[in-house]
Amino acid sequence: MKTVTFEAKTRDEAMKLATEALRVQPDYIALDIEEKKSMLGFKKSYDVRATVDVNLAELGLNTLQTLFDNMGVEATIDMKHPADDEITYTINTNENPVLIGKNGKTLDGIQYYIRNLLNVFTDHHVMVLCDIGGYKENRKRQLEILATKTAKEVARTKVEAKLDPMNAYERRIIHTKLAEWRDVETKSVGEKPDRAIVIRPKNAR
Amino acid sequence: MATNYEKMIADLVTPLVVHPDDVAVKQLSDDGEMITMHIMVHEDDLGRVIGKNGRIANAIRTIAYASASREHKKITINIESF
Repeated sequence: MKTVTFEAKTRDEAMKLATEALRVQPDYIALDIEEKKSMLGFKKSYDVRATVDVNLAELGLNTLQTLFDNMGVEATIDMKHPADDEITYTINTNENPVLIGKNGKTLDGIQYYIRNLLNVFTDHHVMVLCDIGGYKENRKRQLEILATKTAKEVARTKVEAKLDPMNAYERRIIHTKLAEWRDVETKSVGEKPDRAIVIRPKNAR
Repeated sequence: MATNYEKMIADLVTPLVVHPDDVAVKQLSDDGEMITMHIMVHEDDLGRVIGKNGRIANAIRTIAYASASREHKKITINIESF
């Protein structure tokens, strides 16, 4: 969590300076204030230590729950917080397809939003993953099947193959899956959003 | 039950900002198909809400769009600072 220390003339000023320095709203800041007497004893000032005080995993959970409530969607959210810098939300609702969106676009939006929200409060990056109705898990399995099938074809025919454009997360799944293959190698070509994987035979040239 | 888009978007924007009292979300129009929303935030918070290359703004748009699609509506969101 972000922390700053500074000196302030009044308690009100302390919170104002803290929000400016931490770039976080007052609700999420804890102040530790110590009075400092000057030598003459009439000009008071304060030593302030301001810390961001928020439970990230809970904040993310509540924000998601509020969103689904506002949408009128019934949702159960399973939260996992396996490490300080890793939080996952496994979401299940009565309207999964709408919340996943075409090619997972809405799900990506939800994840990007929550990830950014939570990273406002920390100075080290927290990894935040969201999945709805097992979409990413299924997608991963499909991509691995696609990778294996295409790689076999490439190894047999010695002709390289280009896959459809995918986002970084999906490309990574394929790179990882084929990393240890002896007869093919993978490379990403093109620019976002058309960046795509090429699987080609090893030692072709 | 119709979705309250003002509340939904305000609840998405408010936790992001440094000045939560300066968040205003207004529904400008709803002709039954097309909804236009207007978000006003403190000028220091504009970057927070828009994000790098507008990616947070787009994430909020995508979420709102999905929500509106359940009611067979489209939604556009404008973001400005006070």
